[in-house]
Amino acid sequence: MAIDGEAAPSSQEEDMPTYCSIEAPPSVLPQKHYCDITGLEAPYTDPATGLRYHDKSVYDLIKGLSTTVAKDYLSARGVNPIVK
Amino acid sequence: MYEPSELDITRLPVVPFPTVYQPDSYDDHRGKGTPLVIDNGSTNLRFGFATSSTPRSGLNAIARYKERKQNRPLLLFGEGIDSESGAKSQTRTPWEGDVLLNFDALENALDYAFIQLGIDTSSVEHPVLMTERLASPLHSRALTSELMFEQYSVPSLAYCVDSVMSFYHNNLPTPPTPFTSDGLVVSFNSASTSIVPILNGKGLMSHSKRIPWGAVQSTEYLLKLVQLKYPTFPTRVTSSQTSWIMQEFCEFAIDYPAKLRELKDPLKMRAAGRIIQFPFTLPIVEEKTEEELNRVSERRKEQGRKLQELAAKSRQEKLVQRESELQNLLSLREKRDTENKKDWQSTLAAEGFDNDAALDGTIKKLEASLKKARKKDVDGDEMEEEAPSFPLIDVPDADLDEEQLKEKKKQKLMKAGYDARERARKEKDREREEREAGEKREEDERDNDLEGWAIKMRREHEAIMNKIKERNRRKAALTDRKSAASQARMKNIAHLAADERVPKKRRKANGDDMFGADDADWAIYRKINPAAGSSDEEEDLSNLQLVEEKLLAYDPSFTVDHTHASLASQKSALVSAFKPPYEEGDVEGKTRIHLNVERWRVCEAWLSPSMAGVDSAGLGEVIQNVLARFSDAEKGRLVKNIFVTGGPSQLPGLVDRLHATLRPILPPEMPLHIFKAKEPSVDAWKGMADFAKTDEFRTVSVTKAEYEEWGGERIKRWWGGNWNSSVPL
Repeated sequence: MAIDGEAAPSSQEEDMPTYCSIEAPPSVLPQKHYCDITGLEAPYTDPATGLRYHDKSVYDLIKGLSTTVAKDYLSARGVNPIVK
Repeated sequence: MYEPSELDITRLPVVPFPTVYQPDSYDDHRGKGTPLVIDNGSTNLRFGFATSSTPRSGLNAIARYKERKQNRPLLLFGEGIDSESGAKSQTRTPWEGDVLLNFDALENALDYAFIQLGIDTSSVEHPVLMTERLASPLHSRALTSELMFEQYSVPSLAYCVDSVMSFYHNNLPTPPTPFTSDGLVVSFNSASTSIVPILNGKGLMSHSKRIPWGAVQSTEYLLKLVQLKYPTFPTRVTSSQTSWIMQEFCEFAIDYPAKLRELKDPLKMRAAGRIIQFPFTLPIVEEKTEEELNRVSERRKEQGRKLQELAAKSRQEKLVQRESELQNLLSLREKRDTENKKDWQSTLAAEGFDNDAALDGTIKKLEASLKKARKKDVDGDEMEEEAPSFPLIDVPDADLDEEQLKEKKKQKLMKAGYDARERARKEKDREREEREAGEKREEDERDNDLEGWAIKMRREHEAIMNKIKERNRRKAALTDRKSAASQARMKNIAHLAADERVPKKRRKANGDDMFGADDADWAIYRKINPAAGSSDEEEDLSNLQLVEEKLLAYDPSFTVDHTHASLASQKSALVSAFKPPYEEGDVEGKTRIHLNVERWRVCEAWLSPSMAGVDSAGLGEVIQNVLARFSDAEKGRLVKNIFVTGGPSQLPGLVDRLHATLRPILPPEMPLHIFKAKEPSVDAWKGMADFAKTDEFRTVSVTKAEYEEWGGERIKRWWGGNWNSSVPL
């Protein structure tokens, strides 16, 4: 902000890096979907559990999983479907 | 069964017993004021005098443990913690992830460092150069300064950023040229990865970035993947084992989607897999030798014989007893003939009989049972059953008196029972004959035309399997609310509960509906109740089993693989390549971990942490962001000298991957070079040691007097140090 025609003070203070300010921002690139079970590419998602899977045989495996195991797989991806 | 070749299996390394280091002699440095260089890392603490060529290093962890045997409190550092089994649970580290918080542990670690260096004076009389985190929180810095100045009374202290010092070491200017290199430093640390641009020999901290993903997070991610893949693994996998596995087997893929497409093929997945064998113990099978088995069977036979003898003896005793009773009663009856009526009645009453007939009845029963018993003893089980005669049934009622009517009723009942038994026996015989005839027919058919019989059996087998599949499909459809099956079910229920089921006229008349009068009505419950029909299932399964047994026995082309059980549990080739199954009793096989896709998946998390749940941009994107803040000319200077350092940078494939990531986003004519540190773990310390030998070191240090005036947070700004809370030189 210029006062009485003076040049704006150099914004050295704002450049000061702190531990939190240099943290990387969240990604803006589109994220690829990977299979939660095998790690291969996952074009499909199971509507019941929300797990992503690679193909039919992996889907058969998912159908046989219990809900706790399915939640564990999701938490490995960072999705925590805990309804409070 | 998947038989891996011997080369593919790696055994877990045995953890070596920690070596005991002797402290150095202090004579070289006593009173000389040689600078002390301490690289305070989250994983390892590296320390030494600036004049040494290599640092001493130890795991940066402390454990206070009270030894059980002599009740002595012990202070263990680094690998020494492994020497006491109970000490591991008491481990404390100065670093909580990426931030220095635990200063008791730091004090103990520094005590160890100074003792090992041989310092025996009351205070540390050497200027110290220490590392701190990029843009370290001021709290950590203040407490560290306080520790160094108040506790150890060092004459001066300087902080630096380890990545820049590693860069310095690898781009050492020959004196007297000052340090003016340009480059972009990518530093891989335990709990973070940082990117620092350096222009004209000055680290530009304001333009640096830190990704909260490092070796520790990767190890945890790999451990989680292994635990999800092997939920029933017999032994516990520790973090240190996982980090060894990661260092041995994981690598960066140059093109991750292409790698995944390659691994989609089960054969390629098996070829790319690595097997880690964990220690296991074979269960001791108690092999009973021949003679032992014989002895056991002998003993059992003995016991059987003894029981039989006992039974025979008791029978004999009972027989004798009954015979004596019979004798008594017979003699009693004879007395009847001798005594007069009144005395006879009193004698009878004394014995407990009501009248003559009762006495006679009892005597007859006893005689019959005795006869049977005696016959059994003689003949065994075979008994002739003579057709009993019922003479009174044919005589009409009018001719008989009361007693005889009773007799007739009794005889009628007995005859009915006897007839029923006869009929049942005949039925059984007939069924047996039919079954035998059926089997014989089948055998004949089999003998004559094996092919045709086999085809017929197979068709039956298929039909039963289809029925089972249909039933499962119907059950699955019922769980889905919108499917046709469950909507039909709701319609049925609604119809049952509806008022129009009972016609109006009858409702006025008696108001009840006639459900249930017709037996077929109850069948509706089978349709409504989804859990019903289990008896049908059992029937089907037992039929299936019979058919399968016959096929297995007589048809050579029908193997175990065709049975319903093995077809149902069949896994695809992909899933069994991903996690090869082992038989139930294979203890060695069950303690193996197969790594295939995880080898690349774990390292990919550095370039895209969101696949592991961390909401941050990946390495490629962050480098792009950092470079975007510079002009093209400066960008060119930076990417000509991209420098990769830090322990985790030793994972294979990193340089190629970075090159492949950065090349497309830079102008094609801009030269791009990526260099790895010569010794990634130790180069930071070496850079610091080089710097400590220069004169500049003295100018950038904070002396004790300056510390007392400014406090612990303020430092001097120089090219290798942090900028936050710093004053210009």
